[in-house]
Amino acid sequence: MVEYVGFQGYEEEEDTLRGKYLTFLIGSDSYGIELRYVTEIIGIQPVTEVPELPDYIRGVINQRGRIIPIMDVRLRFRKPFREYDDRTCVIIVEMSGITMGLVVDSVADVLSIPDENIVEPPEIQKNYNRYVLGIASAGDDVKLILDCNKILTDDEVEQLSQL
Amino acid sequence: MARVLIVDDAAFMRMAIKNMLLNHGYEVAGEAENGLAAVKKYMECKPDIVTLDITMPEMNGLEALKAIMKIDPKAKVVMVSAMGQENMVKEAILSGAKSFIIKPFKEDHVIKTLQKIL
Amino acid sequence: MADKFINDSMLEVYVFETLQNIEQLENAVLESEKTGRYSAAAINEVFRIMHTIKGSSAMMMLDNLAELAHKMEDLFYYIRETQPKQVDYAALSDLVLSGIDFIQAELKKIQNKEPANGDVSDLLAAITAFLEHLKAANGDFKQEQNTLPAQPAAGGGQAAQPAGKLAAYEAVLYYEEGCEMENIRAYGVIHNLQEMVEDLYYRPADILENDETAAYIREHGFTVGVLTARPAEEMRRFFEDVLFLEKLEFRELDAATFTARKSGAATGRAQVKAATAEFGENEEKSGAQKAAAVATAGQGMISVNVAKLDKLMDLVGEMVIAEAMVVQNPDLAGLELENFRQAARQLHKITSEIQDLVMSVRMVPLANTFLKMQRIVRDMSKKLQKEVKLQLIDEDTEVDKNIIEHISDPLMHLIRNAVDHGLETAEERLAAGKDKTGTVVLEARNVGNHVLIMVRDDGRGLDKEKILRRAEKNNILTKPAEEMTEKEIFQLIFLPGFSTSEQITEYSGRGVGMDVVAKNLEKVGGSVSVDSVSGQGTTLTLKLPLTMAIIEGMNLTVGRARYTIPISAIKESVRLENHKLIKDTDGNEMLLVRGECYPIIRLHEFFKIPTEVTNLEDGIFILVDYEDKPFCLFVDDLLGQQEVVVKALPRYIQNKRIRGIGGCTLLGDGSISLILDVSGFVA
Repeated sequence: MVEYVGFQGYEEEEDTLRGKYLTFLIGSDSYGIELRYVTEIIGIQPVTEVPELPDYIRGVINQRGRIIPIMDVRLRFRKPFREYDDRTCVIIVEMSGITMGLVVDSVADVLSIPDENIVEPPEIQKNYNRYVLGIASAGDDVKLILDCNKILTDDEVEQLSQL
Repeated sequence: MARVLIVDDAAFMRMAIKNMLLNHGYEVAGEAENGLAAVKKYMECKPDIVTLDITMPEMNGLEALKAIMKIDPKAKVVMVSAMGQENMVKEAILSGAKSFIIKPFKEDHVIKTLQKIL
Repeated sequence: MADKFINDSMLEVYVFETLQNIEQLENAVLESEKTGRYSAAAINEVFRIMHTIKGSSAMMMLDNLAELAHKMEDLFYYIRETQPKQVDYAALSDLVLSGIDFIQAELKKIQNKEPANGDVSDLLAAITAFLEHLKAANGDFKQEQNTLPAQPAAGGGQAAQPAGKLAAYEAVLYYEEGCEMENIRAYGVIHNLQEMVEDLYYRPADILENDETAAYIREHGFTVGVLTARPAEEMRRFFEDVLFLEKLEFRELDAATFTARKSGAATGRAQVKAATAEFGENEEKSGAQKAAAVATAGQGMISVNVAKLDKLMDLVGEMVIAEAMVVQNPDLAGLELENFRQAARQLHKITSEIQDLVMSVRMVPLANTFLKMQRIVRDMSKKLQKEVKLQLIDEDTEVDKNIIEHISDPLMHLIRNAVDHGLETAEERLAAGKDKTGTVVLEARNVGNHVLIMVRDDGRGLDKEKILRRAEKNNILTKPAEEMTEKEIFQLIFLPGFSTSEQITEYSGRGVGMDVVAKNLEKVGGSVSVDSVSGQGTTLTLKLPLTMAIIEGMNLTVGRARYTIPISAIKESVRLENHKLIKDTDGNEMLLVRGECYPIIRLHEFFKIPTEVTNLEDGIFILVDYEDKPFCLFVDDLLGQQEVVVKALPRYIQNKRIRGIGGCTLLGDGSISLILDVSGFVA
């Protein structure tokens, strides 16, 4: 029973991924998440519903033998549900040991955004901006950079506030 | 290339020696984890050279050395010892060990020692 | 770690082997402690293990560990050699155990890729102090190295033919820095020279007897004079060939100088000795019997990385699914395929054999986990000043590797509780007419699909009144106290919020209560229950599945969703037809089957799944008998029985702790089915 858990070479990779963002669309809004958290992008798969989860967790999918929960980002942001179509994508992200598929309307692009082009979000619109880490200007477009960590872990608070 | 029998009760040590030998094109004829197994393995695989740990269960390195020398007086055995085992090493030399290496050993020391004896 | 031969797998083996070593060490110490003394075999074993750890750690350049092991080795060397009369064995055990703890902590750091740089100086000082104390009380041991018997002079013997003219030479050998044991290397030179020369001398003369000469040679070189018939060139080449030679001085001597220097060195080939048995005596008389057993058993054994086994298990799982996908492929429906069916049966036979084999590979005995508890009992009984005997029964019972990993902590907690709270103090025990030594029994028992592990103490037993009072105070009572059975009252201790800070002691407390134990066991599909007789003791029983990896399951549907329920949980499944439906005054539905009343849980309501089957006559009931709490699940339909590979739910969902769902599995068509955890429906 050799038990020795090594880390994969994330450290080296991280540097080359720093400052890179995967951008996607929800309706007409453009969002970005740090590319280093993204492991894969796939089309929508048959979803198995799991009871007693918040509505934005649609269930689990079977991705080549791995069972991955998926979260509808629209619903997470309290936007109306939209039927999935062939542009719908699942962005599989992995951070702090949690793997999650994020369902988005469509995936746009990978962009390099220097830190100086990202500003902190305004304090207003508390509920909505909770998941926004910063606002980036790329060309004449504005992208909301999401806080992956909060999206994945911040629901305890929310569940309490819903009660 | 020379075929080596590696004898040590610690898998870690066997692996260390093995890696060093493989780095220099030696062939590992076999491994044994105690003296008794070493003697058996020696007869089985007739290695060109043996690295023989001293402190082992079942039959220690000195006893194994003597047994091997009895079977094959021309056997080339290098003792693997640690600091503080001077007496054991002396006895080993008297009993026919060709040389010795001392833990913690360095790769070039091991290789040099083997080259010299072969 | 500069050397290129040290790679990750070396590190892996180092950590693995050293962990094994200290485990063996700990057992040796604890065994010795029971008998109150260290047998020669045990001392030898400790010595040998420390020796091994020293060597390996030094190779890994883990200096603190090497140093610690070296000091321990020294200590046990002294004990082995002098067999001192006055040894504080309790203190010795403490010392070795704290050494073990230190090594363990460092290994943990290595596993976590942190630098293993713990400060060992306190421990070293403690060992030194202990050794000094021992020596003061028992006297230092005589240096046995001066007792080398001399071999009689070889006479003319093998060198009887001084055919050529004899010449004398003197060589001074300087060794490379760091080659160590220079005196013995020099001795090797002398040994090899014998055949070549008629006479010789060397300085320093006492290389065999005195290891201090190594330092002298390092500084001043090793001087050899020879009288030989061989040509100068041959002699020079001989010396040049000496291993790890840094520098050689070689010159011819006249015969007179040779003789003069020889008498000065006062030694000759007569000093060159054959081996004597005496040396061998102090080297270990082949380790303890256990080591021997391990060694012989080891011949046909290999260690395998658990990650590889897990992967293999996963792959076999996939294979089972793939097989089902082929054999039950809808394209085959309605076809008469005799040959295909035959081949498929053969395939099925092989896959199930592979599956069984992989499962059996993953089975490991509980013994190691049980043995770990000895240390805990020992430490606690010392601290709490209670005399405690730990008895192990059937510790060779095997369970799945994954399960072992999950029960170590809960078990530790239960053992601590038993010793701390369960057992009384010696005075209390005597007053109650009991043996003053308390007993904790740790027993494993294989019952079909499950393994029971029981932690039984002969202590004071649980106090029903106290439990009720605390439950009341903490507001966790679910029904009036007077309606509760004894068992229900005891079971309260597993509820979250039962344990309070009031109860926390150094050992059992730490802010976690029995609820954590229960939760941990649930994770592996196990459960815990308690039984107690006041004044006689308490028994905690852990019920664990043999394996979490593969279960026989019944697939069922509710609406569009599919679920799998472990066959082991099912008593039977029935339709409403012949059975009676009862409603109590609150409108709760119950099914009466052969005189027994089963509360109905409608799965579609429980999980809020839309379905068209809401009429009890249309669906099917699965009768479940969970821990004396029978109930039945109402579902749409059964799909059939199947062996399924249990997969853990993704962590995100696990964290949500959904009641009634224990895992998931992949069905033949690649879709996911959730596995029901029946314990979740009654809690």
